[in-house]
Formats: sequence, C-alpha cells, structure tokens
Amino acid sequence: MLKRTEYLVLPTRGSEPGFRIKLEGTVFRLIATGSWTIREAAALDGALKKLRVPIPPSREFTGEIDISAIEELDTAGAWLLQRTSDAWKHSGLGTNYRGATEDFEILLEAVSRGSDVELPKQEKESAVTALASAIQTTFGAIWHEIIALIGFLGALVACLGRTIMHPWQFRPVSFVHHLDKTGLRAVPIITLICVLIGAVIMQQGLVQLKRFGAELLAVNMVAILALREVGVLLTAIMVAGRSGSAFTAEIGSMKMREEIDAMRILGIDPMQTLVLPRVLALMVGLPLLTFVGDMMCLAGGAIMAKIYLGIDIDVYVERLRDAVSLNHFAAGMLKAPFAALIIGIVGCREGLAVEGSAESLGTHVTSAVVKAIFIVIIMDACFAMFLSAIGV
Amino acid sequence: MTSSREIVIKVRGLQKRFGQQIVFDNLNADVYRGEILGLVGASGQGKSVLLRCITGLLKPEAGQIEIFGRDIDALSRFERIAMEARWGVLFQDGALFSALTVLQNIQVPMREHLEIPQPIMDELAFLKLVMVGLPADAAHKYPSELSGGMRKRAGLARALSLDPEIVFLDEPTSGLDPIGAAAFDRLIKRLQRTLGLSVYMVTHDLDSIFTVCDRVAVLADGHIVRTGAPRELRKAPEHPWVEQYFCGERARAVTA
Repeated sequence: MLKRTEYLVLPTRGSEPGFRIKLEGTVFRLIATGSWTIREAAALDGALKKLRVPIPPSREFTGEIDISAIEELDTAGAWLLQRTSDAWKHSGLGTNYRGATEDFEILLEAVSRGSDVELPKQEKESAVTALASAIQTTFGAIWHEIIALIGFLGALVACLGRTIMHPWQFRPVSFVHHLDKTGLRAVPIITLICVLIGAVIMQQGLVQLKRFGAELLAVNMVAILALREVGVLLTAIMVAGRSGSAFTAEIGSMKMREEIDAMRILGIDPMQTLVLPRVLALMVGLPLLTFVGDMMCLAGGAIMAKIYLGIDIDVYVERLRDAVSLNHFAAGMLKAPFAALIIGIVGCREGLAVEGSAESLGTHVTSAVVKAIFIVIIMDACFAMFLSAIGV
Repeated sequence: MTSSREIVIKVRGLQKRFGQQIVFDNLNADVYRGEILGLVGASGQGKSVLLRCITGLLKPEAGQIEIFGRDIDALSRFERIAMEARWGVLFQDGALFSALTVLQNIQVPMREHLEIPQPIMDELAFLKLVMVGLPADAAHKYPSELSGGMRKRAGLARALSLDPEIVFLDEPTSGLDPIGAAAFDRLIKRLQRTLGLSVYMVTHDLDSIFTVCDRVAVLADGHIVRTGAPRELRKAPEHPWVEQYFCGERARAVTA
C-alpha cells in the first residue's frame, strides 16, 4: 500500500505529461497533468508500470482519477488511463474519473468500450515442430508441384488436340506476337552472351592444353561443348529469365485483376488464348535461338583462336569439320524444344497460380525462373546420360 | 457564420495541369476545424487530384496550400514529416500493405514516427481496430483475406493510428452495399465526434452527404463553384451541375 506521503512524479514542464498519487481520507487520487498523447505513451507507460496498484485496507476506500489538469488527451492517453483504472478496479478499488470535459468523456467512453475485447493470441510453435512441419510442407509442396505440372502438361496437350481438331480456334496473331517477343528480340542478348562464353572456353582451353602441346585440340573442345551443351543451356537459361518470368508476370497480373475469370465467363479458354500461343511460340523460337547461340559460341571460339593461335577462319572451319559430326549438333538441338516446353509450362502455370496480392506475384515470378532453370538442367543431365548410353 | 472558426486547410489560387489539360485553375477552398467537409463533383473533375495535391502526392503548378496555417511547400523535410503525422489518409481501397497483417498495418505509422514498446503498440493498434468496428479475429489476417468493407475499415484504422487532427477520405463508401455504407457513415460521424477530427471527404454518395457532411464543396469547371450546408445547396443550387446533383431524382429520394 502506498503511504500517505509517497507519490511519483514525472518531470512536468509546460505540457509534458505527468501524474501523482495522493491518499486523501479514504480516496486514492491519481492526478494526471499535461498532455497524455501517443507521443508520450512510452514514457507514461513506463512510469505507470512502476506504480504499484494500491491495495485498499477496507471497503470504504475508493479510487479517483482526476483528469481536470490534462491539457491534451488522445486515444493512447485515454487507453493508459483506462488500463490504470481497470487495474485499480481489479484490486477492489472502485474507480471513477473526475473533471472530464465533454470531449474527454466521449473519448474515455469509446476506449472503455474498446478495452472490453481481448486481442486474440497468435499461436507459436516450438522450434522442433516448426522445423518438422516445414520439412513436411516442403516435401509435400514438391510432390504437389510435380503432380500439378504433369496435370498442366496434360491440359495443354488436350488443348492442343482441340485446337488441331478446330484449327480456326488457334490465335495466330498472339503466336506471332510472342514469337517476336521471346524469339527475335532475344537475339542480341543471346548473341552477346554466347560469343563471350565461346571465347572464354576457347581461351581457357588453350591455356590448359598448351602444356601438352595440344593447343589445336581446344578447337575440338569448344566445338563439341558449344554444340552439345553450352549453346542450348545458355539460351534456355537466358530465355527462362527473360520470357518465363514475363509469362508469369503477364498472366499473373491478369489473374490479379480478375481478367482470367472474365475470360472464362465470356467462354474464352485461357489455356487456348494465353498459354498455348506462348508455349508454341517458345517451342519454335527457342530452337532457332539455340542455333544462333551455337553459331555464336563457335564465332567466339574463332576470335580467340585467331588472337591466341593465329588460326585463320578457313583453317578453323577445316578443324571444325574434322572435330564434329551432325550427331553433336543434333544432340544439342534435340534438347531445345523440350527446354522450351518446360520454360513455357512452368511460366504459365506459375502465372495462373498467382493470388490477390502484389507479393504473391513477386513470389511466383521468382519461383517460375528458379523452377524452370532447375528442371531444364535436370532434363539436360538426363539427355546427356541417355545419349551417351546409345552412343550418339 | 463560420468566419470566426479556425481554418485547418486553406487552398488559394491552386492550378494543376497534366500536359495541356488543365484540371483546375485558381481554385480556392477552406476546411474548418472539427467539420466534415464533403467534396463532390462529376467524375474526372479532379476531386482525387485535389486530394492528392493537398496531401503532397502531386505538386500543383501554381497556388498555395496551407495546413494548420503553414505553407506546405515551405516546410523542411523534418517539419513535413511532423506535419504528416497530424493527418491521416484513407485511400479508395484501403491501400493496406499486403505483406503485413491488419494489426501490423495499423502499427506502421507508430513504428515510423514514434518509439513505442511493442506491447503498447499491439494494444493501441487493437484498440483502433475495435474502434473502427472490425471483429477481433481480423487482427492477424492479411488484407487479401478481408472483404472490401473490412479493408476500408482497416485502412481507416491505419489513418487514425496516430490520432491525427485531419482525416482525408477518398470515396469512403464506394463499393459498399447500402447497409455497409450507412454503417461506415455512422462510424465516420462517431469517430469525428470522439476524436475531434476535421474530415475532408471526397464522395459521390448522396446519402453520405446528407447524413454526415456539415458542409459541401462542389468542384466543377476547375473551380469550387458552391459551398454550403447540403440542404442550403439544395434550396439554392445557383449552378446547373449543382442543381442536377442536389435536385435530381436520386437526391429527392434521399431527402424525402
């Protein structure tokens, strides 16, 4: 219990808030002064927490909160007063306000109505169960994803079948538009990247093979690497980053603005209008880009061969003819349409999976690119094993 | 009659252009302390543009805007931040941050402008949430899980987070059903009285105008053509658009 002389004062200067407690007869009186606003809430809360709740020695004791000296009061201040009053009431001290102006009274009443409701607790799990459930959901999600992608592929094939049966339903304008966007417009960047990588492989190969006096074999190495792996992989990764993400963003923002739902209502199949032209355009465009990429890798190699070995272009081509056969070229090109299919269906599916928020769009764009590149590399590895097993 | 009252927002000679298109020219407007001012006008007349000019989201080509007697163009960065804490804005669809829960959304202004311990912020934010009439279980939901009306209430709670003196409302009742809109009107009126707010409200809704607005300003042809109490304007429209608006069939139905 507070003694008669004991009171707590916050420094009060001008409109700075403060309060003190006095025991007058049988009335515990909290006298609040200054401005009780959200700006002072932290300081007031700290001081009020330090204040012990007076325990009434007998039933005659009452509490009173005198707010006649408060200059400014907002919801935060009113809530702090209300909290104090509730605590006092809880310890058996009937507490009233005194000296409230009409404005303050309205505010205090609104706050007391609000403080009757409890903030629901958010459940927190322990670290172990959180980890376990995270692992479970991750594997569950991967499994779900595999099923969903296969399902999507099936829906796309069914849609392709319908389109072949009714060719007039195909959207040639959309197809050409996407062929231009994902194919033709990607040529400069693919060219640049492939020339650089071809040159780098040639230069590194030369430095290493020089020790064995086999510099000329670097040409074989570049040629086989470029045609079988590097050309198609680089192109697929660039296209996944450039066009796969664009598919997700385009379709996803349509989904967000309910355009996809509107299409369904109007009897337009989004699969046929949005997905099929994109995937087909990519399946035509990516092999063409891969061819460009292959040639540019070889060109990069030729530049480096000229600079480091002084090999002229006709000699370089001669070496190429010995080093590679059509098989190497075909092994690379064969993978391009499959890579295109993967990038296309992953991009479109992620787009259709977007939900209402902008954050969801961002997550799905990122995951489209990551998934597409990941699956393309797995596919590439499978092809490498298969092709070497059958001796191509 | 209102000349003795304190003017909280004073707009003088405002001009705003987008390219060649002049949205408004030499526009004057006042908002008095403690009133609810409704701004009406046909679509495309620049009601939202004016709101954006006043709140500093758009920069006018000419003219002066004073809030609490200070020219907002002449403020330093820190003064401006302090000033922004004294008003709150409810955007049309709430404009809640989609990555945060409702409770976190309401706490954003507190977190940015003040240093308050987390438990108090939780309590205060929850109090605001209850005050705008949201159910307790909405606290930990994300904006995408809420209905349109609830998003507006949550947006209002965020606008009220710091107990501002002025609240700007951009079409607060649009997209709500009549019952929801009437409830929102009552909420605005109640909060305005409880917190002593000055409210600047852009609206189309005739019900809102007649039930909550103390004064109406009509924006037409790039000017405020009429101001006054809604019933006054209905009695003496003095402008063709005002007459159509306040004396049309719908207005008669509302006030009948």
